[in-house]
Amino acid sequence: MALPKPVLESLRRIVGDQHVIDQRHDLVIFERDASIADALPEAVVLPGSRQEVIEVVKLAARHRIPIVPRGAGTGLSGGAITLRGGIALQVTRMRRILEIDPHTRTATVEPGVVNKDLQAAAGRHGLFYAPDPSSQAACTIGGNVAENSGGPHCLYYGVTSNHVLGAEAVFADGTVAWVGGDAPDRLGLDLLGLLVGSEGTLATITRVKVKLLPVPEAVVTLMAAFPTIETASQAVSDVIGHQIVPAALEMMDQVTIGAVEAAYHAGYPTDAGAVLLVDIDGLTEGCDELADAIRGLLDRNEAFNVRRAADAAERDLLWAGRKGAIGALGRIRPNYYLHDGVVPRTRLPMVLHRVSEIGREYDLPVANVFHAGDGNLHPNILFDLRDKAALERVEEAGEEMLKTVVDAGGTLSGEHGIGIEKNAFMPWIFSPDDLDAMRRVKSVLDPEGLLNPGKIFPDPESSNPRLRARVGLAAEARWW
Amino acid sequence: MVVDGLEPGTVERPASEEELALRLAQAAGDGQAVIPTGGGRLLGMGDPPERFDVALETTGLAEITEQSTADMTVSVQAGVTLERLNAELGRGGQFLPLDPFAAPGHTIGGLVATALSGPLRLRYGTARDFLIGLRVALPDGKLASSGGRVVKNVSGYDLNKLHLGALGSCGVVVAASFKVFPRPLHEVTVASDGGWAEADRALQLKLAPVALELSSRGHLVARLAGSESAVKRTAAELGWEQADPGFWADHAARLSDHWARISVPPGALREVLAQLPAAADWWAAPGVGVAHWFDARDAETVSLGRRAAEAAGGSLVLLAAPPALKRQVGAWGTPPPTVEIMRRLRDAFDPGRAISPGRYMV
Repeated sequence: MALPKPVLESLRRIVGDQHVIDQRHDLVIFERDASIADALPEAVVLPGSRQEVIEVVKLAARHRIPIVPRGAGTGLSGGAITLRGGIALQVTRMRRILEIDPHTRTATVEPGVVNKDLQAAAGRHGLFYAPDPSSQAACTIGGNVAENSGGPHCLYYGVTSNHVLGAEAVFADGTVAWVGGDAPDRLGLDLLGLLVGSEGTLATITRVKVKLLPVPEAVVTLMAAFPTIETASQAVSDVIGHQIVPAALEMMDQVTIGAVEAAYHAGYPTDAGAVLLVDIDGLTEGCDELADAIRGLLDRNEAFNVRRAADAAERDLLWAGRKGAIGALGRIRPNYYLHDGVVPRTRLPMVLHRVSEIGREYDLPVANVFHAGDGNLHPNILFDLRDKAALERVEEAGEEMLKTVVDAGGTLSGEHGIGIEKNAFMPWIFSPDDLDAMRRVKSVLDPEGLLNPGKIFPDPESSNPRLRARVGLAAEARWW
Repeated sequence: MVVDGLEPGTVERPASEEELALRLAQAAGDGQAVIPTGGGRLLGMGDPPERFDVALETTGLAEITEQSTADMTVSVQAGVTLERLNAELGRGGQFLPLDPFAAPGHTIGGLVATALSGPLRLRYGTARDFLIGLRVALPDGKLASSGGRVVKNVSGYDLNKLHLGALGSCGVVVAASFKVFPRPLHEVTVASDGGWAEADRALQLKLAPVALELSSRGHLVARLAGSESAVKRTAAELGWEQADPGFWADHAARLSDHWARISVPPGALREVLAQLPAAADWWAAPGVGVAHWFDARDAETVSLGRRAAEAAGGSLVLLAAPPALKRQVGAWGTPPPTVEIMRRLRDAFDPGRAISPGRYMV
């Protein structure tokens, strides 16, 4: 499929010749994100300004062409996949940090700004931006807003929606408006709250204003090893159960530890069944007290090799292993299928136990690396996409894991989004009336259904829950 | 049950969420105007209703349906009062960090519908930051849930936020789930008469107060919380005198029958308040950008205050006022440019304007 010539010409007029991609060999670069799905866009358009976004959106509306906003393509739920073709609206040229105001502790950025670049810029003022997804070296603020991204330190600090003050939104008809703003108690319905996490299905974001926080005076990082994933999860439950909410509380299982150690030499004991990483921050005095209390609770659950990072370098190394964990899993199998369910924290030991059983039943290696303090699981099912028979097992195992999460009172996704990966399962957690209420919002903001179509809601064009039945997969795209 | 001088024809007190949804649908089907009420603490919010046929009391929905101390979450029906919920959570050493004015007696449903918050917002944010699930009754009789019972959730649209502060205009809140917080290990209240300059200094501390309130007379009260050693160090750095922690309950009881909330970017608050009459009685939260003005009596000064607030990018909302004053100046002020989208959203949920017609901005 290709867009009609006059449309392509108009797009080129709007953004400039070199910023429209329509040749197949170039388009394949944009057919994927960090999920296992793929679909070819008909064109990739790289606007350089809000005005160009508006004009592209208006043109697409006139010709009824789907628009899928896209940042760095690091999303894990297929949010940036052009399921129905159309235009991939690649915002990475819009990457200016427009303002950092140390007095109001805010930053205004374009959507293509990389999370880590914002962190670095804020850091020069003694400030930081709290959401820290593991892909932060690549992922964009626009993508973070679209997915309502989290990260390890969201345990204490909250997710993206807690830190976005306002956004400039281009709606489906090309009108543009700021939603939210600096002042508290905004008048009227909370459109900003609806847009954050709406996965590009309600509007395209062209500017974002975020809150920054002062860098804490002290940070203590603890690493503790445990004989089993069950003992580690019990330790997590005990910490939270004792009303302690550290800045971050992350877990890695044995499979992950092995891969991470080989890649990063972060110093995790490879004979451990699980490793916990704990960050505590605040005033020097409070940190020490809290660290001692947490240490006591870890010890009670058979922790061994408990280590406190001696300096920033050691802390960075311990965290590098965690942040790079998913990449390191490539040493075991070339592909992963990663779920993102969240359960009430007390159900973690039971759910993790069941997750590893499912892995065994389907004969698939599973690596767990996740936000334990939030009850936010990340089981990575490891496989090789070239092995077509494996894929069926991978999807079935993933579905069973999600079912376990939902049966435990949990939800389908904590921070990665629903996209096309879990939309078929939405009826597990939402009744037809619940989904109908959400569809009312969609029909108001995108009546023609042109913004990122086929996402979040069960796909009316396919009742098959299997990704491989609904979308291309990288294997077919001859990436191998 | 009087709202701006109007009395309802009937008062309903459904005993279940389903019954409430049914009664709402019946009334809406009959073209009646329904005003949902909880503790009745903030019935003065909004413009005078166009009509008032049925008062739909949520106080029959009074169960704390699920409380898990170890999960740090709670699910509660709309009619439970904040005091009852916090007494229950207190047994596990936890609390819901909402401390609105016009207390006690707020129901959870009312707090969600009005998005009311208090001084603790400085540290904990508002319900927007810890509301994790919601169930609302829609005028077509459906019960729609959003979110869930977990602390992190991006499954589907965040309709929690659509309903929070919407004064019921997109549906009547029947139940909510929250992330709850551990009570601070240690806490002290300190006070000063240092006015804005001292307020600024307190906000720049490494461990900022969890609440900081400044009166129109320049009196400052701060609440410091955390581990004992951290609080001690901060109190020493601040150097204010110890004060009675009972202040906070008295403070939360403040209300007026002609009061307004001014919400502006924090840096603009001082200048905006300077536009009010010199004798104005207000309490401000300088770190948040909110002030409650307790003697917003006449159209001229309210309009003046509102102009200043709006020029600073904020708002002035009447929380209660005589209907005549509300009709003169409006409860809400200048609508945002996106008001048309908001109107269409309301149409999608309450096309017949069955819920509180005329009260909300759309």
